[in-house]
Amino acid sequence: MKTSDAPKNSTIKVDYLARVEGEGSLYVKIKKGQVTDARLKIFEPPRFFEAFLRGRTWKEPPDITARICGICPVAYQMSSCHAIEDAFGVKISPEIRELRRLLYCGEWIESHVLHVYMLHAPDFLGYQDVIALSKDHPEAAQRGLRMKKIGNDIVTLLGGREIHPINVRVGGFYKIPAKKRFAELLENLKWARDAAVETVRWAATLPMPDFEQDYTFVALRHAEEYGMNEGRLVSNKGLDIDIHQYNHTFFEKHVAHSNALQSVMEDGSNYFVGPLARFNLNFDRLSPLAREIAREVGYEPPVTNPFRSIVVRSIETLYAFDEAIRIIEADVFPEQAAVEVRPRAGTGYGCTEAPRGILFHRYKFDERGTILDAQIVPPTSQNQSTIERDLRNFVPRNLDLSDEELTWKCEQAIRNYDPCISCATHFLKLDIERES
Amino acid sequence: MAEIKKPKLAVWKFASCDGCQLSLLDCEDELLAVADSVQIANFPEASREIIKGPYDISLVEGSITTPHDAERIHRIRRQSKLLITIGACATAGGIQALRNFTSVDSYVTTVYATPAYISTLKKSTPISEHVPVDFELRGCPVNKYQLLEVINAYLNGRKPNTPPHSVCMECKSKGLVCVAVAQKTVCMGPLTHAGCGALCPEYNRGCFGCYGPKETPNTASLAAWWREHGEKNTDIMRSFRGFNAYAEPFRKESEAHENI
Amino acid sequence: MNKKSKPSTHTLPASQLQKIIDLLYDQGYTVIGPQRRDNAIIYDEITSTDALPAGWIDVQEGGTYQLQRRDDDAWFGYAVGPHSWKQFLFPAKKKLFTIERETFRAQAEPADKTRYAFLGVRSCELHAIAIQDKVFRDGPYADPAYSRLRNNAFFIAVNCTEPAATCFCSSMNTGPGAESGYDLLLTELISSDQHEFLISSGSAKGRALLGTMELPEATPAARERSQELLTRAAEKMHRRMDTEKARKLLLANPEHPHWQELGTRCLNCANCTMVCPTCFCSTVEDVTNLTGDTAERWRRWDSCFTMGHSYIHGGHIRSSGAARYRQWLTHKLATWVDQFGVSGCVGCGRCITWCPVAIDVTEEITKFEPVTRDTAA
Repeated sequence: MKTSDAPKNSTIKVDYLARVEGEGSLYVKIKKGQVTDARLKIFEPPRFFEAFLRGRTWKEPPDITARICGICPVAYQMSSCHAIEDAFGVKISPEIRELRRLLYCGEWIESHVLHVYMLHAPDFLGYQDVIALSKDHPEAAQRGLRMKKIGNDIVTLLGGREIHPINVRVGGFYKIPAKKRFAELLENLKWARDAAVETVRWAATLPMPDFEQDYTFVALRHAEEYGMNEGRLVSNKGLDIDIHQYNHTFFEKHVAHSNALQSVMEDGSNYFVGPLARFNLNFDRLSPLAREIAREVGYEPPVTNPFRSIVVRSIETLYAFDEAIRIIEADVFPEQAAVEVRPRAGTGYGCTEAPRGILFHRYKFDERGTILDAQIVPPTSQNQSTIERDLRNFVPRNLDLSDEELTWKCEQAIRNYDPCISCATHFLKLDIERES
Repeated sequence: MAEIKKPKLAVWKFASCDGCQLSLLDCEDELLAVADSVQIANFPEASREIIKGPYDISLVEGSITTPHDAERIHRIRRQSKLLITIGACATAGGIQALRNFTSVDSYVTTVYATPAYISTLKKSTPISEHVPVDFELRGCPVNKYQLLEVINAYLNGRKPNTPPHSVCMECKSKGLVCVAVAQKTVCMGPLTHAGCGALCPEYNRGCFGCYGPKETPNTASLAAWWREHGEKNTDIMRSFRGFNAYAEPFRKESEAHENI
Repeated sequence: MNKKSKPSTHTLPASQLQKIIDLLYDQGYTVIGPQRRDNAIIYDEITSTDALPAGWIDVQEGGTYQLQRRDDDAWFGYAVGPHSWKQFLFPAKKKLFTIERETFRAQAEPADKTRYAFLGVRSCELHAIAIQDKVFRDGPYADPAYSRLRNNAFFIAVNCTEPAATCFCSSMNTGPGAESGYDLLLTELISSDQHEFLISSGSAKGRALLGTMELPEATPAARERSQELLTRAAEKMHRRMDTEKARKLLLANPEHPHWQELGTRCLNCANCTMVCPTCFCSTVEDVTNLTGDTAERWRRWDSCFTMGHSYIHGGHIRSSGAARYRQWLTHKLATWVDQFGVSGCVGCGRCITWCPVAIDVTEEITKFEPVTRDTAA
């Protein structure tokens, strides 16, 4: 194994990035101590969702687009429903809105806990995976698994199953489960909320590399709530737009090394979506408990070190448990599982906060509700360009590391974003090239 | 026990959403027990550690859509004693097999600004079209308990209990009320492979065929019934053209309702 | 079990039915009765008459079932629900035993000691239970789990005065009035100003329970009204099955071309066998824990419409849909008689209603009439 006498010229290559969702690789080229190239290559084969959505009916996007991602199917279901309801002028009831939020809390929990405990924490503690971690830290691993399961229980109850739920439809749900089944979740949720507090405290003790960066954070902001299903798109750099203006502000570009389109802002600059963005922009909208625990561990906006995202994700997990409990205890359930939906010609926009950040959908329909055109912009494609910038900035500071260590650190830096490559094209592979 | 070598498990991904392999990580109560029973030798979604083959069990997720993947699956087969496909993509080509019914070039230009960067095959095909497959587990996504059952069955040298009959048998066994008969809902349950536990009828909606065709499905009869009851040919075609569109019985039935 | 004299019939005001439910719970029964759920009348645990499907009727036809409001608020004003009582006495899935690798000793599942009281059992359903008794309790291979549940059960039959269009019990001599097999028998009488039941007992258990109630003797007028309702119910049934003829036709026509026609329509989805109150096929599945230290054997419902049902070493005996349909119908209506001395059909009509493509056994059986074995393909 190489140590700090590693040559200043080198290539870091990870052909198949692990502990991310989907297939990607990392390629970093170092010349005379300078990073000359940093690419997050996404070679996962394209699946052409936007193309085959054309000609399908308005009822189908929640089920079809869910298949873009097995980790955050609910996000796809939510954004597509909102976009379609926007196109048809459908107003859902406040009770349905709350249950959608509950379902989304379930997905945030299962996705965040999966990432915190199973994908990201092993990096901080020097394990290859959670199974190795569980040998030395059985309590933490068990806690994580149980929390994740409880998040999945919400999705399963309301959605029918944890992956690709079947109960979401445009206008609401197919069926509202019996009230008592929600109440049955409460005991576990309360345990999990305490466990989430523990998780925040535990995550805050993890060794954090020093890496403060200047970012443009973008997230949904809502008048009263922590942004999830609705809100305006705001940034820490003065952006404040209606989601209908999305396409005027954000542009997709196609680069040769990626099967995912990358999103950039109007001026070509990159931006950052996801837990860190939401936390920095919506701290005041967190529940009092989530804010209190965040402050206790010294986390208040702005948090600009992406490695700290593991703590922020834990805070959001705590929030999601708290919010789920609030919704269930409010004990208000819809009389009608769904509101009536009548298709009409037009274009609709939906943007919701997937666990990894904003997920934008746009659909154009004919008068019978047949899809003429669809656009889907997942969070990972929005973060891709920021991830590459992080690598360009991170590698030069860590050239004293061996190739092996540097590679691992670069992977960790990518995992800060919890990238979901299945979404973005839908993997990751790291190449570090050092050259004289 | 320690001296007995644990079987090596590998998980491979092709074009897919990751959901089926995630099902393994969703086995929160059983995951650590599984890790005690097998050596997780290659499972990039869960671990950085890659142990070289050959592997005793390979779980393959996803469909073949690129020339590179068409090569890769042969390498995997060569290293695998038992190759099990998991999910609708690996078993039937997945939702991305919708391209098989049209020209893929038009798809590329629809989605990507610079089509020249994209390398893709004309068709999305199941693993069994490329290499011999030892067992196919159905579902979009697979049912995690069925996935455990398949691993468990292999470990114990028995046949997995994954009956190929209709969803209706699960539906009736659960005491649910048939949504097709009682609500005139279009339901693919009578044609669809069991495994989900009749989820959709339980949630008051018709089955939409996530698990693909059951054994000996009579697609023509049910399609004719729908037609008689006012369904349009385009809607019937769409019903068969879902997550298992390229599974032969569904493919043929959807083609029978094309352009008429 | 009965004396020669006709058991006395009493009048039970509707408001008093709750008392019977309460008495049954006091005696340790779990009462299962009809209630409206998921657009159908299903059978599930019931503690109050408020849960009964008051004022609902099931409008049934081939491949369709719809609940509609009745003109009155009758509690039992429907025919039969989608699922029969089989689900309780012969559950769809049941663990049989657990076995340990170490000792290789099988541990039978503890017996299910539930004492069910079934409220609202129709005559056709009593006949169906009598048929399953022959299979599971009274034959050479008795099933202890079934026998225990069945022998512990209390049956409150309700005469059927509102048959569905799919019913044909009158031609099968299995209804609409119940003649035996019950502990208590009710006939619902409802008019604009009155809601009551005629009640009589059919067993010592029933008599004992009724004896605690102090109910008035039924008036001749009420008896007459009850008889009238049953006569009218029998007349309402248009579908028919001639059991003797059906048996002869089926035994004579195993190669009839109509089987092929049925094969093209039948979905082999097994719905008919699932809803049939007499179908009794099951299969067993063995499961292990991950380490293989313990194994369990489970029994679950099977159907002659699955390929696995006719699988023996080397292949499937009935691989075509036509062959499977023939197996089902021929067994149900013909060879069943040879096997159990009675037809396997009770005329409840469920297989007609719940067939997703509306295959109607009463109609299909007539298709075999003109052709005999000599002219068959």
